[in-house]
Amino acid sequence: MAEDLNWAIGGEAGDGIDSTGKIFAQAQSRAGRHVFTSKDFASRIRGGYTAYKIRSSTDRVQSVVNRLDVLVALTQRTIDENLDELHDGSVVVYDGERSWEAEIPGDITGVDVPLKSLAEDAGGAIMRNVVALGAVCAIVDFPVEKLDEALEKRFGGKGEKIVENNKTAARKGADYVEEEYDGFDYSLETTDSDYVLLNGDEAIGMGAIAAGCRFYAGYPITPATDVMEYLTGRIDQFGGHVVQAEDELSAINMALGAARAGARSMTATSGPGIDLMTETFGLVATSETPLVICDVMRAGPSTGMPTKQEQGDLNSLLYGGHGEIPRFVIAPTTISECFHKTIEAFNLAEQYQTPVYLVADLSMAVTEQTFAPEEFDMDAVEIDRGKVVDDDSIDQYLDEQDRFQPHYDAADGVSPRAFPGTDGGAHMSTGLEHDELGRRTEDTDERIDQVEKRQRKVETAKQEEDWSYREYGDPDADTLVISWGSNEGAIVEAMDALQSEGTDVRFLSVPYIFPRPDLSEEIEAAERTVVVECNAQGQFADLIEHDVLERVQRVTKFDGVRFDADELADAIRDVVDGSAAADEVTA
Amino acid sequence: MSSDVRFTDFKSDKQPTWCPGCGDFGTMNGMMKALANTGNDPDNTFVVAGIGCSGKIGTYMHSYALHGVHGRALPVGCGVKIANPDLEVMVAGGDGDGYSIGAGHFVHAVRRNVDMTYVVMDNRIYGLTKGQASPTSREDFETSTSPDGPKQPPVNPLALAHAAGATFIAQSFSSDAQRHAEIVQEAIEHDGFGFVNVFSPCVTFNDVDTYDYFRDSLVDLAETDHDPSDEQQAKEVIMDGETEHMGVIYQDDDSVPFNELHGVTENMAEIPDGAPDGAMDLVREFY
Repeated sequence: MAEDLNWAIGGEAGDGIDSTGKIFAQAQSRAGRHVFTSKDFASRIRGGYTAYKIRSSTDRVQSVVNRLDVLVALTQRTIDENLDELHDGSVVVYDGERSWEAEIPGDITGVDVPLKSLAEDAGGAIMRNVVALGAVCAIVDFPVEKLDEALEKRFGGKGEKIVENNKTAARKGADYVEEEYDGFDYSLETTDSDYVLLNGDEAIGMGAIAAGCRFYAGYPITPATDVMEYLTGRIDQFGGHVVQAEDELSAINMALGAARAGARSMTATSGPGIDLMTETFGLVATSETPLVICDVMRAGPSTGMPTKQEQGDLNSLLYGGHGEIPRFVIAPTTISECFHKTIEAFNLAEQYQTPVYLVADLSMAVTEQTFAPEEFDMDAVEIDRGKVVDDDSIDQYLDEQDRFQPHYDAADGVSPRAFPGTDGGAHMSTGLEHDELGRRTEDTDERIDQVEKRQRKVETAKQEEDWSYREYGDPDADTLVISWGSNEGAIVEAMDALQSEGTDVRFLSVPYIFPRPDLSEEIEAAERTVVVECNAQGQFADLIEHDVLERVQRVTKFDGVRFDADELADAIRDVVDGSAAADEVTA
Repeated sequence: MSSDVRFTDFKSDKQPTWCPGCGDFGTMNGMMKALANTGNDPDNTFVVAGIGCSGKIGTYMHSYALHGVHGRALPVGCGVKIANPDLEVMVAGGDGDGYSIGAGHFVHAVRRNVDMTYVVMDNRIYGLTKGQASPTSREDFETSTSPDGPKQPPVNPLALAHAAGATFIAQSFSSDAQRHAEIVQEAIEHDGFGFVNVFSPCVTFNDVDTYDYFRDSLVDLAETDHDPSDEQQAKEVIMDGETEHMGVIYQDDDSVPFNELHGVTENMAEIPDGAPDGAMDLVREFY
């Protein structure tokens, strides 16, 4: 792979670290370099260490590494926090006029730039980070004009004067370094490619609009807030709206209401919000309402570490909620896939009239990465709304008394939807068990029919849809690596390093948690299997192990009546005699 | 919308299992009459019901309806109306649903001022769970879980609504069929969130807030010179600790409902077969 540059800026929260990092990422993207960013931020408006890291190359980059070539340090702590990543030849930019005296180890080059003074010369101290970016341009031999483009994008809305001042500030930084310091070893190659730069939350939001989502209700929570902020204002241009709810209980119920009205509707939250939304999750499923619920995971449990990475919600998403709730759980593994899987989630939700958990995680959500714009091909977007009746086609789903049957016991388990306003379609939906008309029932036969109907939808989806995985590496390798979520990029790059040492691995990146691909043959073929995930218990590993376990026969009952001794004896006798069908006996 | 809709068209074929004499019969009849009188029909009407005896109303009425999670009926109603402003949305629930488990949503639904109607069947008791104190039970009202009374003041739902900035506040009595239907009709016709607290007596578990009590004590504001557009007069009625009133207590004639305020006018159910026109601009933004 072409030579990469690993750059970071660090300081206190409130120092403008995030926007400065974004500007430099943007500049490199405009210069045809691939960019991958990582944020180490604290959940505070001001105070506390925060940093923004960029890895860039003319080749595609999918991960950060533990090496820093150039560091802009606004505080001593920034240097201390990154000492183990700095190396012989690293450059640290700092402002010697600031109140602290930078302690920089001997083999690292310190570049002292009067950031604040130069910024003041350019029109205001607020631009000191831009002076630093100009200095960096000189250090890494990067055309300052490309930085101009990013400054125009960032400050264009604030008027020409502000843009010009920032451009001046950048040049003051660059000129200072060129005058005061000798050449450095870095020279950033640029290309004619033009990339788009976006994070996972933005990709999800853009995917939602592309998919026809028109209603979003949410309650702000790190790290899902970017989805809501992205959609706010933008979705209105397409006839939609974002509502900030009073809490997550309200958010999911508003989204549910909009979905009952026929809108493609979603909410996004993080683990603590999922806990609250779980209350309504069963209602969504049992009323057969299509809904996309996005969980951008962060470190739990409880408030946990709100600004830190974890993939710890898997079990909660798979099993959360009382009773047995049909659901789909989809976890995109890259930022561009966040876009595509969001569209897929909306189609699945409507085709099967069931809730879909769209699962991302913090490191993907707030990480920016470059992509060719063609990866977000709007012309290729297909909308499948599933079975929907209108004023004319409703007749085939009316019963003998001309009543619409929203929970019609169809062979594939998928009944029709009638949006409110459809003539003759008035019906009730409820969290109570119901008959085909949607009316409350405790009749054992109707109960069994509806449980099986809802379950059958999942079985139909398992047959009809493609629950595949992405494969990397040597298909015949002894070592099989399986992972889910945002780890894909880091694993792919790790494989390059391993391969150069002579270690081949086969890697399966799985975006479907439920339903999910059956990997038993792949596991059988490998000598050893490794499951990689960002949590302590190995929740996905548990699932993979489950899938390769010996199957047991099951005796089940769900009509609302307890087992009695005679029927149990019959059921077990059937198993012993071998007269029971397959692996399942219903008492 | 057909012009010959009768209120019985809003009745489903399910027979109510409410106790004989329950106030909810009258509350529901008034809602159905008000819906018919305002030119609605079951196919353009969406009823959201809470949980509890009152929550069964969605089953006994005929319309598009959702019977959801305890306390969350108001957010569902907001979602329905914002997504399709052409629908007539009516949310109905009990005092437990609205003022206890759903109290947080009540305050914010009022603030949001979505153009819908909220009917609370206030019987000052938990009936479905067989007689425990509700948020509107009297301080000394003895129940199985409060043998000496709750010993805390009841919620004043009218004051709560007013404090949250309600644009329409009314109170009615399920037994006064004509007035109740009129009051609900005014709530429907209001441009914004129409809130009606309905005294809907529980004949099985509440022997204090009975039909006789309300008949003897309620003052109908229509028979006084009360002016609902006068906020000061409204406040006096709301905070009157001695006398209970029925009628339209407050109405803000300048109310601008949510959808209008935010320019949300389209039926969101209608979308194209592919990405919407202009979607490529979203990608270009990321250059």
